[in-house]
Amino acid sequence: MFYRSNIETYSLRLHTGNPARSAAAEESRVHLLIPLFIFISGGATMSVLALTRAALKNPDVSWDHKNNPEPWNKMEPNQQYKLLAVNMDYSKLKKDRPDF
Amino acid sequence: MAEDIKAKLEKYRTAPFDARFPNQNQTRNCWSNYVDYYRCQKALDAKGLDTQPCEWYKRVYKSLCPISWIQKWDEQREDGTFPGKI
Repeated sequence: MFYRSNIETYSLRLHTGNPARSAAAEESRVHLLIPLFIFISGGATMSVLALTRAALKNPDVSWDHKNNPEPWNKMEPNQQYKLLAVNMDYSKLKKDRPDF
Repeated sequence: MAEDIKAKLEKYRTAPFDARFPNQNQTRNCWSNYVDYYRCQKALDAKGLDTQPCEWYKRVYKSLCPISWIQKWDEQREDGTFPGKI
């Protein structure tokens, strides 16, 4: 197994470690990829959640034009939509538009 | 209420923060105030009240909206093709 044939002398071989062991006694190295799966699935989950939140909660979005044509008008003056608002004290806001 | 509005209009500097439109895209803020101004006028005219409070919306949309949009919408209102419900 350590003797190179004539063909192999002239061909490129990748340095893949012990060739016989990988061929005959296969060991799965998938466990090394588990952190990758964690990050990818976490990212996919977060993106799906963000899209769902935007579809359902965003005041610009109206699914039912007849019953909810202008959802932004249903918000309170101090209601916060953003997940993280920097330098904005929402509790101090009051309504300042005239009624009609 | 009218006195409040007069006082607020005296002190008006620019459009205040509106929690309904917290992000960078203020298009809907402009649209909403434009439409609200004409709805306010129509509603208060129908009730026979003074339309002075509606001036708040006019000041806000004049602060926010590009002049070309205001001109386009004014023309559409005159033609009867304005897409919003007033």
